[in-house]
Amino acid sequence: MAFDAASEYTTLVSIASETGGQGASVGSADAVYVVVHANKILASHPLPGVTIDATEKEDGIEAFITVDDGVVLSKQVHLCFGHLGTEGRQVITSHVSIGARARATFLAHCIFPNAVEFLHAMEGDIVVGEGAEFTYNEVHVHGPEGRISVKPVSRVVLHDRALYRGDFTLVEGRVGDLDILIDVDARGVGSRVELTSKVYGKDDDQCRVQDFVRLNGAGSTALVKAKVVLRDASSGLFHGLVEGAAAGARGHVDCTEVIQGAAKAEASPVVRVTHPEAEVTHEAAIGRIADDKIEGLMAKGLDEAQAVDVIVSGLLR
Amino acid sequence: MTHALLFVEDVHVEKDGSSILRGVTLQVRPGEIVGVLGRNGAGKSSLAYSIMGIGRYRPSRGQIRFDGEDLLPLSVTDRARRGISLAWQHPARYEGISVRDYLRLSSQRVTEGMMEDALSRVMLDPPYLDRMVDKSLSGGERKRIELASIFLMHPRLSVLDEPDSGVDLLALGEIMTLFRTLSEGGNAVLIITHREDVAAACDRSYLMCGGRMILEGSAEAVKRYFLSQCSPCTELEPEIVKEVC
Ligand SMILES: Nc1ncnc2c1ncn2[C@@H]1O[C@H](COP(=O)(O)OP(=O)(O)OP(=O)(O)O)[C@@H](O)[C@H]1O
Ligand SMILES: [Mg+2]
Repeated sequence: MAFDAASEYTTLVSIASETGGQGASVGSADAVYVVVHANKILASHPLPGVTIDATEKEDGIEAFITVDDGVVLSKQVHLCFGHLGTEGRQVITSHVSIGARARATFLAHCIFPNAVEFLHAMEGDIVVGEGAEFTYNEVHVHGPEGRISVKPVSRVVLHDRALYRGDFTLVEGRVGDLDILIDVDARGVGSRVELTSKVYGKDDDQCRVQDFVRLNGAGSTALVKAKVVLRDASSGLFHGLVEGAAAGARGHVDCTEVIQGAAKAEASPVVRVTHPEAEVTHEAAIGRIADDKIEGLMAKGLDEAQAVDVIVSGLLR
Repeated sequence: MTHALLFVEDVHVEKDGSSILRGVTLQVRPGEIVGVLGRNGAGKSSLAYSIMGIGRYRPSRGQIRFDGEDLLPLSVTDRARRGISLAWQHPARYEGISVRDYLRLSSQRVTEGMMEDALSRVMLDPPYLDRMVDKSLSGGERKRIELASIFLMHPRLSVLDEPDSGVDLLALGEIMTLFRTLSEGGNAVLIITHREDVAAACDRSYLMCGGRMILEGSAEAVKRYFLSQCSPCTELEPEIVKEVC
C-alpha cells in the first residue's frame, strides 16, 4: 500500500480524533503536537515553554520533549505515532522532561489499523520535576486482523511532590503480542504515582503487563490498577510490584482479570516492604463474566457476543 | 376464547437431581395481566427462567409456546427478539455502564425524552440517567431501572419476577398503571409477586406450590385462598389446577 505524506497525515489525525478525545486539536495553532508516520515526522508543533527536538532514525524517531519550569499546558499534547501499512517496524525513543511546578498531559495515539506483521516499540524515559504534575495517556488502535508486537517501556523518575499518572489503554482491535513495562522510581519526598492499564485480548493475543513502582521517597504513594479482559484463546499475565522503601510510603496494587472462552490469565501482584514505616496492600481477582450478566442483556435482544462486548466495554471504561 | 399468547403445559425442570418444576401449566392471553403467587421456593423464578430460556432451566418435559411457536429450541436472544422479556428478581449489576447506556440497549430508537419518561413512571428523576448500573444502586433503585428498561422495550410479553419487592415507594395505583400500559395493544404481562394487593389487581392469578400450579382463578379468589391456606402453609397440595370461580 502506498500513501503520500498528506494522506498519511489526515488519516492518522482523523483516527486520533475519533479515539483520543480532543484529537481535533491536532493541527490547531494553540496545541502542541507531533505526528509521525513510520520514521517520517509529518508535523511537529511546539509552543512557547515547550521544546520538541525530534530526529528521524532508520526505523523510527528519537524525540526530546521538554516542558519548562512552571509552564502549565491547558490543552493535551498529542503524540500521533502510526503506520498505515501491513508490515514493518517503528521504534520511538523519547526523553520527556517536565520542569518544576509544570503541568502537562500527553496523549499518545498509537495507530496501526492495517498492521498484520508489525513491531511497535517505545522506549521512553520521563523525568517529572519538583511539584510538577504529568499525565501520560497512551491509546492504541489496532486492526481487527493480524499480529502486531507492541513493546512499550517507560522509565519514570519523580522528584519531590511530583505526580505521575499513567493510563495505558488497548481495547480496540487485536492486541497482538503486547509486552508493556512501566518502571517508576518515586524517589521524591511526597511524590505520587497512579498507573492504570486496560487491555482487551482476543483470538490468540498475548498480553503481558508489568508495572513496577519503587516508593523510595518518604511519604510517597502509589496506586497501580490493571484491568485485563481476555476472551477466545488469548492469554494474559499481570505482574505488579510495589515496593515501600521509605518512611510513610503507601501503595496499593489492584488487578482484575476477566476471562471468557478458553482464555488464560495469571496475576501476580507483589508487594514488598523494606522500610518499617511503609505499607503496601494488594488485591487480585480472576473470574468469568457471570452468566446472569450475559443473560440479562440477551433478554434485551443482544446476542451473546454483543452482550459480552457491552459488559467488557463497561469493565474497561 | 382468545388464543394464548403464552402457552405453558406440563413443564418439568430438574436441577441437581431434584424436581423444581413438576408439571406447570399456565396460559397468558393477549391484553392480560396475570399474577403468580406462591411461597418462597415454590418455583416461581424457575418458571420465569424457563419461559425466557435461561440455559440452566431447560425443561425435560412439556411445552412452552409463544404465539403458537415452540419456544424450546430458541435461545434467550431469539425469544427476546420474538417479544419476550424478563425483569429478574435480582437484576444483574454492570460495572462502568450508565443508566442511560443501559436503557439505550432496550431499543434502538429510544430518545433522551423517552428515557426520562420511563424513569418518571418508576418515580426516578432524570439525574439517574448518569448513575451507574453497578453496586452503587440500591436494590429498589436497580429494580425500578429494570422496569423502566422493560417499559422502553415494549415487549409483547413482560415476565416480571417480583418487580415490586423492595420497591416500597411505588403505590399500587402507580405500579398497576405501569403494568396496564405494558399490556396495551394486545401485549401481556406475567407478574410474579408477593404483594397480595398487586396479585388481587391482576386480571387472573395462579397459585404455585411445590413446582406446580395448584390453583387458577380470579385474582381475588387466589389471593383469598393464599391468605387462608398458605400462610401458614396447610400442606394441602391439591391435585394440579383447581378452578375456584
Ligand atoms: N439452580 C438450582 N439448583 C438447585 N436448586 C434450585 C436451583 N434453582 C432453584 N432451585 C430450587 O428450586 C426451588 C424453586 O426455586 P425458585 O427460585 O424458583 O423459587 P421461588 O418461588 O422463585 O422462590 P422465592 O419466592 O424465594 O423467590 C427452590 O427449592 C430452590 O432451592
Ligand atoms: Mg423467586
